[in-house]
Amino acid sequence: MSLDLIYQVIHVLEVCSVPLLLAAIIRRAKARMQGRPGPPFAQPIFDLVKRFRKSETISSTSSWVFRVSPVAGLAIALVIALTVPWTGARALGTGSGVADFILVAYLLAFGRFLSILAALDTGSAFGGIGASRESALGVLIEPSVLVSLAAISVSTGSSDLSVALTSHAPTSVAILAGAAFLLAALAELSRMPVDDPTTHLELTMIHEATILENSGRNLALVEVGVALRTAIYFGVGARLLLSCAVPVGGLATMQIILTLVSILALGIAIGVIEGISVKLNWRRIPSFVAFSTALAAMSAFVAVLRG
Amino acid sequence: MQRRSRLEPYGAKPIAQLIYTNHASETVIAAMALWVVACLVGLQKSGGAWRAATLLSLVASALCLIATLQPAGDAALRPPIGIAGVALAFHVDSLSKWFLGLIGLVGMAVSVYAPGYLQHLRGRARPGFVLSGLALLFASMAGVVTARNAIVFAAFWELMALSSFLLVATDHERHAVRRAGFIYLGATRIGSAFLIAGFLWAHALTGSWEFQAWALQGPAATGPAALILVGLITKAGAWPFHLWLPIAHPAAPAPVSAVMSGVMIKTAVYAILRLFVFGGIDSPWIAWVLVALGAVSAFWGVLFALLQGDLKKVLAYSSVENIGLILLAIGIALLARNAKLPQVQDLALASALFHSLNHGIFKTLLFLGAGTVDAQAHTREMERLGGLIRRMPWTGITFFVGSAAICALPLLNGFASEWLLYRGLIVMSSSGGTGELRLVGLLLLGWVGLVGALALSCFARAFGISFLGEPRTGAARKATEGTAGMIGACAFLAILCVCLGLAAPLAWDVMRSLGFIRMQHGWTLPIVPLAFALSGTAAAVWAGMAILARRRPIRSSATWDCGFGGPIAKGQYTATGFAQPIVRLFGVLYRYEMSVTVGGDGRRHFPTEVRAEASHEAYLESRVYQPVLDGVQRLSERFLYRLQAGSIHQYLFLMLSTLALLLWLGGTR
Repeated sequence: MSLDLIYQVIHVLEVCSVPLLLAAIIRRAKARMQGRPGPPFAQPIFDLVKRFRKSETISSTSSWVFRVSPVAGLAIALVIALTVPWTGARALGTGSGVADFILVAYLLAFGRFLSILAALDTGSAFGGIGASRESALGVLIEPSVLVSLAAISVSTGSSDLSVALTSHAPTSVAILAGAAFLLAALAELSRMPVDDPTTHLELTMIHEATILENSGRNLALVEVGVALRTAIYFGVGARLLLSCAVPVGGLATMQIILTLVSILALGIAIGVIEGISVKLNWRRIPSFVAFSTALAAMSAFVAVLRG
Repeated sequence: MQRRSRLEPYGAKPIAQLIYTNHASETVIAAMALWVVACLVGLQKSGGAWRAATLLSLVASALCLIATLQPAGDAALRPPIGIAGVALAFHVDSLSKWFLGLIGLVGMAVSVYAPGYLQHLRGRARPGFVLSGLALLFASMAGVVTARNAIVFAAFWELMALSSFLLVATDHERHAVRRAGFIYLGATRIGSAFLIAGFLWAHALTGSWEFQAWALQGPAATGPAALILVGLITKAGAWPFHLWLPIAHPAAPAPVSAVMSGVMIKTAVYAILRLFVFGGIDSPWIAWVLVALGAVSAFWGVLFALLQGDLKKVLAYSSVENIGLILLAIGIALLARNAKLPQVQDLALASALFHSLNHGIFKTLLFLGAGTVDAQAHTREMERLGGLIRRMPWTGITFFVGSAAICALPLLNGFASEWLLYRGLIVMSSSGGTGELRLVGLLLLGWVGLVGALALSCFARAFGISFLGEPRTGAARKATEGTAGMIGACAFLAILCVCLGLAAPLAWDVMRSLGFIRMQHGWTLPIVPLAFALSGTAAAVWAGMAILARRRPIRSSATWDCGFGGPIAKGQYTATGFAQPIVRLFGVLYRYEMSVTVGGDGRRHFPTEVRAEASHEAYLESRVYQPVLDGVQRLSERFLYRLQAGSIHQYLFLMLSTLALLLWLGGTR
């Protein structure tokens, strides 16, 4: 019992620290790939502090939707981060069904719904283009996210992620589902090669275009939400891959360390990918996501055949 | 003392007794009678008549809700003239009660909403006329879901079709509405023909008109089941018989489209449940047909909803999607029953029933919201709307709740029923008997996910383009909030969406106590604690922001304009543009064209006019239905016109010979 408590504390600590750590690592890795020394390691924290201290300017066209969207988005991301064991430790509310993967997927969709609406709320055409593309990406990745998680839940016998992500799954299912999920995560998180998070041309932006009108504190909220979502997606992807290595019963500490290392390694990998690849033409993205969907379908086949 | 005891029977307690001891069927008959009276009152020309009709309709809806609390029972009236030798018999059981509840809830909301809305139709239609039609439609729907035998069912079914046709044709001076009315009438005729042929066949096989006596298994069930299914699916508006739905619903006044989309198409779901799930007609192929049609409808409906620019057309196509999801759930339930998977059967069945109720509520809400927009901004074209949330705040927030609910976003009622479907699919894929069934479960899960993501995109577009941003036209700029009744009806439905979402565990228990399902703990999500956690976190973040805002207040400024000075409302993203990335993805199903014309001297750099138009044409319509219709037309031009020569002698001869033929056929039997 007390061990569970310790693992819960570890989970909460990781929820507080890993997202920003991951953002820093991605930045550093990317800078190194581009031959720059890069900003100080704590730059994401400095940025956040700066933005939270600034005032915000909002569009006179906007309504309550624009004000509510970042707050609700962050609340959703926080609740998911606390209830889904993406760190491999013990999440809050384990076994209560609160981490049911359909619920989690739809909560994330709720966040997307609100961010699309917030982008449309300012009446900016850039917001519209970002909103349109974000919703199209959602359509592309949703089947693969759901099917890869369903494959794991079928293999582990539980659709509650707090159980499914910490139990053993056959190697083939774990690898296929994990790969499918991580590929889809690249699109969902607006990462290269689907979207360039540091682009400066509005017409090529996806995620950045939707938050073009957010500033100051409001922008900081959105950024915290994005950092949390990135950590959750990478953590869940890492857990899916590692679920083939979970021994029956114990070794939780080893799993937590392995997961943390994999999340950070994924961060470095993202930095490397962003250093060496170019952004895909928007029209090529469906065929990129098709890899993810195909892998997810294969994981479903294997999960059914093995079970 | 004596006096008081004499008065007691009329006190509060006996009224409660009256409610609980009376049989539901009698209450429903009373409700139908009230609606008929409302119909007659509404037709009167005097000023207060339509108010009286509204009140009567409201009371009748309340009676329907009361009937759901009463013990089940039968009631039969034996009319002096026999109709095929059967009584005018009604039977109210759990299934009828479920749908009566939906009729009652929607009936109340629509009765409150209609008077305010109908004001704006002044000059084009008498409010009383629409109210009469609505009352008749409600009475016939209550009759359909409580009919005991096929004859009574068919009679009310026809009454429902005709009254809704009259309502669709309310604004019949417009050509488009007349066309919609005729297409709808044609669809109901085709559907009824199949349905009645199926009923006749079933009667021939079983020798009874009673639904309860229809026990047909295996190959014997194939013929009647196929005919009945075609008839019902035409009414439900599922693919490929959905064509009438997006034409008829936008043509009708908003309260009418709300009732048709929210409740009327559900009577077909009721009949499918009555005959194929809780009834005795059973054949293995039915389950697969329902799964296939449901899956295709769900995807097709939401995809075409994304292509539409008219708010009510979006909603109509989205009904095709939701009916698809319901049929899919029923199909899964039947598959599970055949494969002996009681848990999956319970989950899928609960999803179908709950989604029928939920869709009825949020679709009514959305149609009424669209009606308010239509009444106040005088257009339903999304490209001409925008910025309504500041002008119509209450309609805006209720439409937001409805949109979120129809996208199945968590903690609202749409999520509850779709989650049950997902749960059923997961249980099927982890414990289903055969490998194929398990794989089908997993792949359907992804398919439903795709449909869900498309729906999210569709309703983010519908709400975002029409309610957010800047108004795109002067009409939208001048729009004001609707009347108190209109807002009240929408708010009532929006609150229902939230309550039913949070009360999902309770809904499961209710369905269990009504005997639809047997499983103890089907609902496994801690929905109320989650709601507290989410709202608590959001409140904390909001409070933090408010504290920060105290030191540095929020400034307001124009949307960023790239330094070109003042963004113009027409420069906003359009509904067509919003949908384009997704629409291009599935381009194999339709021809999608975008034509852009740039006009003016030196138009390369200084165009005076830029016009972009998108058009689409579904291959199903242009390559399948059109040739068939052309063929029918050619046939009638060549041969049938000889029969309809306008000669009374010829008609008399035809009638006489038909009568003779029928008598001879009847005599030889």
